[in-house]
Amino acid sequence: MACTLIDEGCLLATVPNSFKIALLASAVMFSSFGFADDVLKEGITPATDTSQVPASAKLRTDTVIAGISEPQGIFNPYFFVNGWDENVTNVIFARLVDWDSQGKLVPGLAESWTVSPDGKTYTIKLRPNLKFSDGSPLTAEDVAFTLTVLYDPKYDGDTDITLAHIAGGDDYKQGKADSVSGLKVVDPLTLQVTTTQPGATTLQKIGGPVLSKAYYGKGYQRGNLDYLRTLHGKPLGNGPYVYDKYIPGQEIRFHANANYYRGVPPTPRFIYRVTNPSTNFQLFQTGDTDYDAFTSRPDDIEQLKLLGFANINLYGSSDYSKIEFNLKRPALQDAKVRQALIYGLDRQKLIDVVYQGYGTVAIEPISPISWAYNTDGVNPYKFDPAQAKKLLDEAGWKVGGDGIRVKDGKRLELTLLVSKKVLNDALIPIAKEDYQKIGVLLKPQVVDFNALMSQRKAGNYDLASFSTSTLNDPHDGVWDFYSTEAAVQGYHNAEVDKLINEGNATLDIEKRKPIYHELYKVLANDPPVILLGNRKILSASSARVTGFKPDIYNGLTGSLPDVKIVK
Amino acid sequence: MRNFILRRLLQTIPMLFLASLIIFMLFAKTPGDFIDGNITLTAQRAAELKALYGLDQPLISRYLHWLGNLLQGDLGFSLQYQIPVSQLLNQYIWNSFLLATIAMVLYWGIALAVGIVSAMKPYSLFDHVVSVVIFAAMSFPTFFLCLLLIKWFAVDLHWLPVGGMTNIGSDATGWAWVMQVAAHLVLPVIALVMLQAGSLTRYFRASMLDVVRMDFIRTARAKGLRERTVIFKHALRNALLPIITLLGFELPGLFSGALITEKVFNWPGAGHIHIDSLAARDYPVLMGFTLFLAVLTILGNLIADVLYAWADPRIRVRS
Repeated sequence: MACTLIDEGCLLATVPNSFKIALLASAVMFSSFGFADDVLKEGITPATDTSQVPASAKLRTDTVIAGISEPQGIFNPYFFVNGWDENVTNVIFARLVDWDSQGKLVPGLAESWTVSPDGKTYTIKLRPNLKFSDGSPLTAEDVAFTLTVLYDPKYDGDTDITLAHIAGGDDYKQGKADSVSGLKVVDPLTLQVTTTQPGATTLQKIGGPVLSKAYYGKGYQRGNLDYLRTLHGKPLGNGPYVYDKYIPGQEIRFHANANYYRGVPPTPRFIYRVTNPSTNFQLFQTGDTDYDAFTSRPDDIEQLKLLGFANINLYGSSDYSKIEFNLKRPALQDAKVRQALIYGLDRQKLIDVVYQGYGTVAIEPISPISWAYNTDGVNPYKFDPAQAKKLLDEAGWKVGGDGIRVKDGKRLELTLLVSKKVLNDALIPIAKEDYQKIGVLLKPQVVDFNALMSQRKAGNYDLASFSTSTLNDPHDGVWDFYSTEAAVQGYHNAEVDKLINEGNATLDIEKRKPIYHELYKVLANDPPVILLGNRKILSASSARVTGFKPDIYNGLTGSLPDVKIVK
Repeated sequence: MRNFILRRLLQTIPMLFLASLIIFMLFAKTPGDFIDGNITLTAQRAAELKALYGLDQPLISRYLHWLGNLLQGDLGFSLQYQIPVSQLLNQYIWNSFLLATIAMVLYWGIALAVGIVSAMKPYSLFDHVVSVVIFAAMSFPTFFLCLLLIKWFAVDLHWLPVGGMTNIGSDATGWAWVMQVAAHLVLPVIALVMLQAGSLTRYFRASMLDVVRMDFIRTARAKGLRERTVIFKHALRNALLPIITLLGFELPGLFSGALITEKVFNWPGAGHIHIDSLAARDYPVLMGFTLFLAVLTILGNLIADVLYAWADPRIRVRS
């Protein structure tokens, strides 16, 4: 449900269908030739003519304005429901542990951390003299309080802290203990977190934003979080900027945090302005915004280049799109049929049509920008209808009278659940045609996203197409192939389970790399999904400001402490 | 007349109950709920959250719970905004109301004027020109028209803002605030008027022409009354009768927002929260807002009936 800043489904949600179809039609016509030569390089393409900066933007001497799509007003990092609010809380709240541009964990509020040799106990050292924006001190007590709230039985936010397996967390949740025994405040600057099992994603789960105990914990009792809701609109954090005001549907205002631990940000005021994909370009063009995200289409890029004053930033996303198999369906239990369905789909054509040079065919359930990406020896499943036919023949599906394959009197007919999305608009015709050629009848059903997820949960599908959310760790890209999580889809592979466990239980990145490499090979041979694509994200900032260097792990907020207005 | 209004008011009570039941069942039976759409949750966490939100309860108890709260004036609590539904609606519907009201006054005014003039001089040059202009305006796709207006007036000419309701970061109050809002209103209002005036003008014109051809008008003219008196005193009042019904239906539209127009112009109105809530299956908001619109629809009908009765004594006598 959450739209992240870069979710294409969200970006285009407001564009009427006829318009999208027109876009798509032109994309189909002009695709697969021509664009390879002038594709924009990843990274920052600087502005060519800074004198073109709109006059109205130059008048703002102390304020930077960035576009945001649909904030909902829940400005608490553990309670927001959609990714847009996360973009807001990232401005107000700093994390204990941050990510670098490759997705590796680096110190944030925490100066350092050590993990015991068994991988279960974390000792986190805070930087000295940390303060919340109201000047009150930030100590290990606040971190312990934050993690305790996440274990509250009434906690209904998106963070699933149970995956960090902190000792005593479940007892606290069930009312068997009055505190979480695994959280130990050694001294104001040191917190020791004991877990019951090692986990590669544990540190990012416990290393999130910190809530002030004095502010958010006043009157806290287990099982009573209702009072917290009244504070969602009055956040107190410790990030680069301090929240001032929210005008619903219009803007959110901030001013620089004098107590920010990395020093006061150079720009005194920051504003998120609500924009939408239909007019965000015009707002950028007229100087109403200094920064916004755009769709990475050649047309958009060309327009941005023509402005002259745009620093254009292109970077890889960390999600991937896929078509999931329902292995409860007899036909799909056979790995050969699943492999045939991957060979038989021209994914390169699909990605070219949809992303026009700004996306790649996904080979692994992880993005190419991740440290875990390694395609050596992983079957890339290049489009090969002959191979697909061969595999289907081997699986016993013989071509029937009308060209559709038959086995034991059953025709090879597959339903495909899709939601309304640009990727799927192209997927349906391409997949239908490609599968027709190998003797598979595809029946697409277009439903909205929640309905899709609900039908998927009920097992009412053969194939379902959707994308993952933004993935920070390779474990996030594979956890739902684990047999207990994939119970509804019926995917079960002992080798995969073992490797997922191993990958998550190993903390050293160098040791994790070969595990994931092996896992991706196993997944390719016994595929739970058809991997579709990885895409690129496009954003632009006005040449009147410097310092924006967004990447998928940090978004634009990671740059905020350095954003300066050029005098 | 008082009895008539009272009786009609009493009739609305069962209608409201029925509306609430239909609304609830419709949304509750739509596949997917608030939790389903979140793909990052493990199965266990999803089940926990469903229990917390009461989504695991049987439909009938969920309905009764909602109805019980409703009768106490409580519209419920938005799942995705985490504030009371009434507060959420309050944040947005007045903006929609403002935009829609101004647009409506304008396009009703235009339609009325054009309808009258066309009826006075049907098939004249003016009538033909108006017809062409109306069809041209109507045939623009909303989305395209809005973008075109932005391109001309905001981007190329710099006369008007691209979107929003006030200048970003502005703390203007009083008169300065009014001027800002007015400037931001111009383009969305033009778009709405262009899109809406057409059909209404056609309707008015047809209604006036029908009346003008009637015998009593011919009689009035034959009596030697001035054309002005014939049109305004005799024809207009009768031509307005069917249009009063139409006016009643406009009431919910004033609050529900012109979705595409508001969206393109970043107008902070209510239309988009309705769509977002449907996408997120935020039942309390969906039900609260739809029920609000149902009440307005019923109310609009009631007002139309009363006005009709006031304008046409025959109805009063019969009832």
